[in-house]
Amino acid sequence: MMKDQLRAVSGQIIAIGVALLMGAIIILMVGESPVRVFMTLLRGAFGDQEKIAGTLLQTTPILICGVAACIGLRGGMFNVGIEGQLFLGGFAAAWVGFAMPLPAGIHTLAALALAVVAGAAWVAIPAYFRARYNTNEVVSTILSNYVAVLLTSYFTIFLFKRPGGWSETPPILPTSYLPEIFTFSRLNWGLVIGLMLAVGAALVFRYTKWGYSVTMVGSAPKFAEYGGVNVKRQGFMVLLLSGAVGGLAGGVETLGVHHRFMEGFAPGFGFDGLIAALLANGSPVATIFTALFFGALRNGSLLLEVDTSASREIITVIQALIILSVSAQVLVRKRGDSRAGERRWKF
Amino acid sequence: MKRALKSLFLAGTMLAVSFGSAAAQAKVSVAAISGYFAQGFGVSIVNGLNKAKTDFGIDLKLVDTGNRALDYQQQFENLAKGKQYDLIFVMGWELVDSLQKVSAEYPDQRFVFIDGVLDNPKMIYANFAEEQGSFVAGALAGMIEAKGTAFDKIGDGKAIGFVGGRDIPVIRNFLGGYEQGAKYAAPDVKVNSVFAGTFDDPAKGSELAQALYGQGSDIVYNVAGPTGEGVMQASAAVDKYSIGVDIDMCGSAPGNVLASMLKRGDIAVYTLIKDEVEGRKITAGTRTFDLASGGVEVKVCDDIAPKIPADVTAKLDEIKKGILDGKIVIAKAK
Repeated sequence: MMKDQLRAVSGQIIAIGVALLMGAIIILMVGESPVRVFMTLLRGAFGDQEKIAGTLLQTTPILICGVAACIGLRGGMFNVGIEGQLFLGGFAAAWVGFAMPLPAGIHTLAALALAVVAGAAWVAIPAYFRARYNTNEVVSTILSNYVAVLLTSYFTIFLFKRPGGWSETPPILPTSYLPEIFTFSRLNWGLVIGLMLAVGAALVFRYTKWGYSVTMVGSAPKFAEYGGVNVKRQGFMVLLLSGAVGGLAGGVETLGVHHRFMEGFAPGFGFDGLIAALLANGSPVATIFTALFFGALRNGSLLLEVDTSASREIITVIQALIILSVSAQVLVRKRGDSRAGERRWKF
Repeated sequence: MKRALKSLFLAGTMLAVSFGSAAAQAKVSVAAISGYFAQGFGVSIVNGLNKAKTDFGIDLKLVDTGNRALDYQQQFENLAKGKQYDLIFVMGWELVDSLQKVSAEYPDQRFVFIDGVLDNPKMIYANFAEEQGSFVAGALAGMIEAKGTAFDKIGDGKAIGFVGGRDIPVIRNFLGGYEQGAKYAAPDVKVNSVFAGTFDDPAKGSELAQALYGQGSDIVYNVAGPTGEGVMQASAAVDKYSIGVDIDMCGSAPGNVLASMLKRGDIAVYTLIKDEVEGRKITAGTRTFDLASGGVEVKVCDDIAPKIPADVTAKLDEIKKGILDGKIVIAKAK
């Protein structure tokens, strides 16, 4: 058990190392020094307390989306629609924030609650079709992303636009803010929510009967069914839960950082979260670290562009290389020693 | 002896280094940040910045914001924190919120907001008199339309069209100028206007433009960014006329583009940097680039220019003169 885990972790680290090495070659090819680029990345991510807080700020949405993805992966469900759930959750939270005056505290909770409901409701459609007609949830959740992003654009531009500004809703009321942790950064309690979710999910998977049955359905659905689990119903619930967490990610962004909903405000976090979860082998606790890694890359890249002549997009390239080397690693490993978890994401 | 030489050499190098950095400090250093440097108006700004770099040897840093709202504020902070930039040019309304926050955090940093005016008296604004250029464009379109079937590709001569991106103040200002210009030069021509609701959807632009052409507008003015590319394509598809905006769009649909209303972002940034380099330090407030300073102009496409009747050209010159000496007053949309 321990040895297996060690092996999985070292595999991922080697994969990241290979990706960074290939990234370094590309940096050389564009005429920058890889050492300078990586040092600037480090400085941009962890250079001072504000930079560290900035990295954690970038980590928050990736972490929450990552936990959403983990829940799906554990239960054998590939929720690629986290992006869309995040957008709808973000909009729902903003709507509670600007349209419903409530006392402080309760207001934030109500907005987060609606974000959760919105995310779950959005995934309920693909989840229903998955359970009822065995539709491939990968395709239906991917497609639902486009609808979600455009739907929130429609809400923002045509129904709730703040008069005279950019395409955004009116600002939310201060009573609904998710408070900031420090005075010097926009970092907010969303990070704590993310950490609690990750640890909570890990505990549920490890210590509860329901969590165990989810893992069983994910790794050996026939066995689970034989053992008396209603596999379809369970798959539906897993997707719903995953979607709910995806919606929460959007709510946290809106209430914690932007304090309003902007059209197209956060593209790509859903996918970053999914990658973080895959890199973490579907483990919520490991996702904390992979999300932190991606958050640091992103925050560092913002300084990279200012302080060197390399483009910020080099990070996107490195991320893509990581995905490639991680998936290559899965293929390279012999089927025999593939832990049950890994076969889940072959579809 | 050797030691003494060595220390002399060291002192010399240090002196050279300190001289070097003193020279660098005198050099004007400029950063520009936007998500639109690859398209239309942004390209024009980059051209102006590069020209200033060649002519004045300034330090120039271009930063692309990407499209994640979470990043903007950190990007502004990274630029402002080092205090190495004399001026930071900013373009894009989606950046306003972060800009305001960082500007409050770094009150000594001079930010130049391009293409708009915000309610912050500490910033510098490079604004364009788009209503003046649009007035000329409206007058041109109105007069050509009024020629009716006498002019190639024109129908019954009753209406001209307008496709806006989003319904925001800047775009309203374009529409206002256009309508006033048409009314001034061709009172009988009606202006039909629509807003696409987005700057990023060429298919929608094409659809809306085709609807306008279908309703009898023979000339459509595109003020819609990438959405407007669809307007230009639609004019070629139905063989009517379009008017481009921000940059020279005559190449988008040769033969079907009447003119382009140029907003010379390059002239604006170049002029500002020139002032700064020559010691006229730029201070907070609004600088408007209009017809008089060449900041806006209507460029009739080369393939169309010979076809424009002499009376139209004469009237246009008269209108431009009228705007310059203040005889024609154009109301700004608020």
